[in-house]
Amino acid sequence: MNQAVRAIWTHESTEVIKTGSWRLALPAYVNLPAPCHKACPVEGNIAVWIQSVENQEYRDAWLTLIENNPFPAVTGRICHRPCEDSCNRGQLDEPIAIRCLERFVGDLAIDNGWAFPETAASKTETIAIVGGGPAGLAAAFHLRRMGYAVTLFDDQQQLGGVLRYGIPPYRLPKDILDAEIQRILDLGIDVRTNTRISSQTDFENLRAEFAAVFMATGAAVPKRLPQLDYSQPWVIESATYLEQTNSGDHAQCGERIVVIGGGSAAMDVARTARRQGKEVAVICLETETAMPAQRDEVLEAMDEGVTLIDGVMLRSVTDRALKGLELACVKVEFEAGAERGEFSVNSIAGTEFTIDADTIVAAIGQDPDITTLQDSLDVEAGLVRVDEQQQTSIAGVFAGGDLVTMQRFVTVAFGFGKRAATEIDRYLRSSTSASDSTPEQAVSTDMINTHYHPQAARAKQQMVPVAERQVSFDEVELALPGDEALAESQRCFSCGNCTFCDNCFDYCPDMAIKRENGGYRVNDDYCKGCGLCVRECPTGAIVMRQER
Amino acid sequence: MLRSGHAACPGCVLALSLRHILNTLGPETMAVAAPSCAALICGAQPCSSMKIPVYQTTLESSAAAASGLRRALDTKGKQDTTVVVIAGDGGTYDIGFQALSSAVERNEDMIYFCFDNEGYMNTGGQKSSATPLYASTGSTPAGKLSKKKNLTEIMAAHEIPYAATASAAHLADLVRKVEKAKGIRGTRIITVLIPCLPGWGLPDDEAIATARLAVDTGVFPLYEVEEGQRYTLNQTTRTRPVKDYLMTQKRYRHLSAEDRDEIQLMVDRNWTRLAERSATS
Ligand SMILES: Cc1cc2nc3c(=O)[nH]c(=O)nc-3n(C[C@H](O)[C@H](O)[C@H](O)COP(=O)(O)OP(=O)(O)OC[C@H]3O[C@@H](n4cnc5c(N)ncnc54)[C@H](O)[C@@H]3O)c2cc1C
Ligand SMILES: Cc1ncc(C[n+]2csc(CCOP(=O)(O)OP(=O)(O)O)c2C)c(N)n1
Ligand code: SF4
Ligand code: SF4
Ligand code: SF4
Ligand SMILES: [Mg+2]
Repeated sequence: MNQAVRAIWTHESTEVIKTGSWRLALPAYVNLPAPCHKACPVEGNIAVWIQSVENQEYRDAWLTLIENNPFPAVTGRICHRPCEDSCNRGQLDEPIAIRCLERFVGDLAIDNGWAFPETAASKTETIAIVGGGPAGLAAAFHLRRMGYAVTLFDDQQQLGGVLRYGIPPYRLPKDILDAEIQRILDLGIDVRTNTRISSQTDFENLRAEFAAVFMATGAAVPKRLPQLDYSQPWVIESATYLEQTNSGDHAQCGERIVVIGGGSAAMDVARTARRQGKEVAVICLETETAMPAQRDEVLEAMDEGVTLIDGVMLRSVTDRALKGLELACVKVEFEAGAERGEFSVNSIAGTEFTIDADTIVAAIGQDPDITTLQDSLDVEAGLVRVDEQQQTSIAGVFAGGDLVTMQRFVTVAFGFGKRAATEIDRYLRSSTSASDSTPEQAVSTDMINTHYHPQAARAKQQMVPVAERQVSFDEVELALPGDEALAESQRCFSCGNCTFCDNCFDYCPDMAIKRENGGYRVNDDYCKGCGLCVRECPTGAIVMRQER
Repeated sequence: MLRSGHAACPGCVLALSLRHILNTLGPETMAVAAPSCAALICGAQPCSSMKIPVYQTTLESSAAAASGLRRALDTKGKQDTTVVVIAGDGGTYDIGFQALSSAVERNEDMIYFCFDNEGYMNTGGQKSSATPLYASTGSTPAGKLSKKKNLTEIMAAHEIPYAATASAAHLADLVRKVEKAKGIRGTRIITVLIPCLPGWGLPDDEAIATARLAVDTGVFPLYEVEEGQRYTLNQTTRTRPVKDYLMTQKRYRHLSAEDRDEIQLMVDRNWTRLAERSATS
């Protein structure tokens, strides 16, 4: 008989059993935005460049940064850093010191003379940009990189806007500003400084001559307090004061200075005056913690000997000739309104008091100059009105920065410049806007397996000692040393951004994760849908998706 | 070395541990499997998930069968083939215990892997002598009233060349221990804690987190004992209270605060003893 003997040993592989059929949900690799990225006004791909820092690939970090912001050494110093407020790590211990890291990379680029990568092939159109502040310069950079020719008009002698004539060098050294502006100019930009676009004719000529126009003239007209007689020599506008001191001139003023206002400009005036040996008090309507200036600025100002008198209002000023000024003040209850810049105040009876001074510097905010623009463009509440594409009421004329928003931040202005470039390109290439795509949910802390992120203290910003600060315009905040920058970068969760740690691969009990083309793929033949890969992912780069 | 398509529950870290153990041992390995979840994962006739020969034996006899296999291989001059046992806690602490004890006494050249899921799990979750105090199982629904046996200490008392505990939540440590064991001759035993998803009452994605908590709380300390004398504790501290481990598992849901405190004290005692031995050896 030739009957086959039944094998008692195994001769088949379990791979014939497709256990994927057990599954209800399948993991998917996604690339969701990090919350810091969503909060950043230039959408700065923070997780990506911090990972490059972690890998000590500093030039790559810089290249990622400049995709969205050609001024990392500037934002790395003075950005209001909304990214840090939204950082997921803040829920474990403290947020990543994103701004410090940004400065670290920005400074490396300057020190090493890194140049921008090649621009795209030249396009035929030339774009006019009016205003060489942050919004205008950012737009110039992005448009030039797209291959457009750019002509940049500014009424000042040098470019930079508030960055040059407003923000003092102890916060933003001029050589840093110069280096980052020069790098943009090296891309080949036709710069027309000392050229004011002031009349309607100037504006009409621009429209006729250029394919598109971007208006970014900022907000340089000071708001005025009815309590002050601005014709008196003892009243100075903050912009005038800062412009003079930043250009090396000494503003004409007495020994006792009272600064009125609670924003960045007020802090800059007060700290500048301290450096000139003056006795300085700041009075503002808001209570200390509600002041619009960045908290660090307020604390640094007080460290430097500025007296803060918060929650008060100036009622009147008496000029007592040789005895100087007497400021009549009262305490107030301050309530912020829905919009930035809106508020209501109630004086508290019986809290009246006086302050002696020689000079008053008013720093209560600035409005755009729309006197001629409003004949051509729609305006609303003192700002030029733009639509979602940043286009004004005239087709082909775009606007951004302080001219169109009450969000008065440098990085917001950079963001406007970036988006204006994109929208101008779309307008000229007649392509549709991508604004119809639904915004993606940011990675939340519960998507991060924090076990893989051991507790580590946030890098500490080191400062020049107060005594030295009071007599010098040198930079106050010191750079982060390289080893600390590296350690800080390692604290980042890398939210939504796979670090190729292999956890998903290593923790799959079913060998259903495959390494492929430098990444990973889920083999749905065998994935049983347990979700261990997702659970053990330290970055939130993989999520479960229901199937049936 | 482990193939997809095996029968482990979704998210089971027994399969995961097996995967990394086999990859570390390499192809020159033969296994004896006692009836257990591990044996089911190996595959049912005619399919195998393992790329090495596996002999499925009875629950009582895995260590004896492995002794025989070892001698047969030695006779054929295959001293370099590693013989391993893969068994559950029931097949180790209870039913296969006598065969194991004698094999260790003879110092048979094999690595014995005990996948300790603290109960007879593939048969529906009955208690074993590895089930911890107060844990609820199919046969102790109100909670087990006796403590877990300490297998590693029993093995140390045999003066076994190498005994270690390991965890899939600490893969690098697990791999290191397997490599170390492979380099030693005589009987070696590695006990891997396997949080059982249905048996312990855990969601499918929680086995690694639970295994990690077992280590972090000191419930299942990672340590090694050489020749029954030299103790090495692989972790320096416990970072969390035992409560954190107990609270996530359904099998401990009925525990009172006092019960949890009692378990904490037991864990503290065990930890102190281990720490002392590790410091003095
Ligand atoms: C003192 C001070 C400190 C500040 N500190 C901070 C800070 O720390 N962090 C922060 O985020 N923000 C800060 N801000 C706010 C921030 O600087 C502004 O939001 C930002 O500069 C706006 O950029 P912009 O390009 O719109 O305008 P601007 O910076 O005002 O630039 C406008 C440019 O246009 C030019 N221009 C104007 N009119 C014409 C014209 N008709 N023709 C040609 N050119 C013209 C101007 O000369 C200027 O160069 C500060 C502001 C001030 C005033
Ligand atoms: C002597 C004997 N009693 C009972 C059984 C049935 N049986 C097969 S596997 C098993 C449970 C084994 O438990 P354990 O060793 O802990 O492995 P687990 O299934 O938990 O992985 C039992 C009771 C058997 N095979 N032999
Ligand atoms: S630009 Fe500002 S918001 Fe953006 S990453 Fe840098 S510090 Fe953060
Ligand atoms: S942890 Fe890193 S990626 Fe995540 S929000 Fe913070 S800075 Fe961004
Ligand atoms: S576990 Fe690691 S490798 Fe896998 S997706 Fe997350 S970060 Fe990437
Ligand atoms: Mg068991």
